[in-house]
Amino acid sequence: MSIMKSVNDFLARLSGKLKGGGEIAIEKQKKKGKHTARERIEDLLLDPDSFLETDLFVEHSVKDFGMDRKDLAGDGVITGFGKISNRSVAVFAQDFTVAGGSLGRAHAKKITKVMDTAAEAHIPLIGINDSGGARIQEGVESLCGYGEIFYRNTRLSGIIPQISVILGPCAGGAVYSPALTDFVFVVNKISNMFITGPQVIKTVLGEEVTQEELGGAVTQTSITGNAHFYAESEVEAFDTLKKLLSFLPSNSNEKPPVYRTVPPVNPLGDDVIPDDRKQAYSVRDIIRGIVDASDFLEVHEHWARNIVVGFARLDGKSIGIIANQPRVLAGVLDVNASDKAARFIRFCDSFNIPLLTMVDTPGYLPGIDQEHAGVIRHGAKLLYAYSEATVPKMTLIMRKAYGGAYIAMCSRHLGATFVASWPSGEIAVMGPEGAANIIFRREIAEADDPEACRQEKVREYEEKFSNPYVAAKKGYVDTIIRSSMTRDTFIKALSVADSFKVGHKHGNIPL
Amino acid sequence: MESKLGKLNIDGTEYSTEIPDGALEAFEGAPDPSEVRAFIPGGIVDILVSEGDTVEPGSILLLLEAMKMHNEICSNIKGIVSKIHVSKDDTVKKDQLLVEISGF
Repeated sequence: MSIMKSVNDFLARLSGKLKGGGEIAIEKQKKKGKHTARERIEDLLLDPDSFLETDLFVEHSVKDFGMDRKDLAGDGVITGFGKISNRSVAVFAQDFTVAGGSLGRAHAKKITKVMDTAAEAHIPLIGINDSGGARIQEGVESLCGYGEIFYRNTRLSGIIPQISVILGPCAGGAVYSPALTDFVFVVNKISNMFITGPQVIKTVLGEEVTQEELGGAVTQTSITGNAHFYAESEVEAFDTLKKLLSFLPSNSNEKPPVYRTVPPVNPLGDDVIPDDRKQAYSVRDIIRGIVDASDFLEVHEHWARNIVVGFARLDGKSIGIIANQPRVLAGVLDVNASDKAARFIRFCDSFNIPLLTMVDTPGYLPGIDQEHAGVIRHGAKLLYAYSEATVPKMTLIMRKAYGGAYIAMCSRHLGATFVASWPSGEIAVMGPEGAANIIFRREIAEADDPEACRQEKVREYEEKFSNPYVAAKKGYVDTIIRSSMTRDTFIKALSVADSFKVGHKHGNIPL
Repeated sequence: MESKLGKLNIDGTEYSTEIPDGALEAFEGAPDPSEVRAFIPGGIVDILVSEGDTVEPGSILLLLEAMKMHNEICSNIKGIVSKIHVSKDDTVKKDQLLVEISGF
């Protein structure tokens, strides 16, 4: 064959492969409001013209059930490498237009190959899931494929950031690859995740449920906590993903990129929380008053809302924020809040992101359901995660820091590197009401006017213990600052701790 | 998720805050052993007792097909079958009352 002939032959083969599942299948994909796998990678995710595709010409070798007559472009998945904000990433996107994006041996091998390269290159991995599930014609080979992906997801955990974007069905065993990764994105009316779908549930159990109710984007971000980021559109999901990456290093041996310092839009004054400790406020407003450009990327925004976690910058440097949210359930710790915070802390520790913990919590949520749901076991994860973390651990006590929850919220006793309190901080075993009722039980009962006596004892306790000075006298609080000084203080504290050691510490096990 | 503003009492202090739906649901008490309920939705394959029969703990009352299995639904107490609420081939929901037993 002459050179030109071989080039033309190649171009013909290439254009066939680039069409994916063909025009009809692509039209169907579009009708569902979805982009094609190639558009997702090249147009929505990566920097223009940065995509380097691999394994486009890989074919399956299955002979059963007429599969030998089927030519599946790229075996239903697009793989390769590219840049996001000029930083390298590895990527794969399942192509629903090709055999429903079903996963067979060759499909899986393409994925594990980019994963292996990502591991060697120390770059983040982004997986886009849009698949009907296992390719049933391939039997155990398909299951082998899933297993080998799960194995790598786990072995790479805590070494490179792994992010999953669910843009279609992701059902059965397939859900476990995203579940093992660090962050999962879902899109309203496009994403679905479940182990057994509505049809199976109806057949086996007789219960009717829609796909959306069972495992849609709202369900996965507000009820189950399986997904971390909710978006209204694919474009929005990818924009948020790119923003997320801007806070992260490419691997556990690096620190996150440092940006130019930008002051907050509305810096904190000295009067930022309500006088009455029983009144709620949103801790998000406080966070935005402290961090660079008031820019806060919240993780798990809609799940376990009594704690707020997410990424921001201080003096241009990435930090992970963990803050009690007094607006929801008074900011108590409970089973889900403990899981949410613990996993976030462990991610930050894996990837050299210093922690800022903001405390205003009355304690743990009381109740039979919490106890029976294992609040002891789940709460322990929070203590473990904070104690284990070796990144700089900075703590701000804003108001209530009571009892076990005070200890758990990155107190000095769990190895905090720097603890500041506002003058409104109350570090005590419990709130003044509860404490007075216990300490002065007899005096109150025997008083001529028990209620008046109780009020007086509450005030007495309040004056003595509802402040940060008792803890400051012991050195458990390093400094007491006006709220207007918060940003400056923590910028200094972060700079003191700046040369902390990096390197692989541990994986980010789903908690 | 839905939420409403409410009061949450922690150690004697009442906080004004949002209470997400379902966040404070307590577990129900222990089930009443005289009421035999479906632990899983499914179909009634066979009923092995009649009203008035005497049963022992472990006596099989009926077979409930669910998850492709015939599940033996047994009495937990000694007593008399006072009421059977289902018939063969009925489809039942989770927690639906199947049989009542009056204990001795």
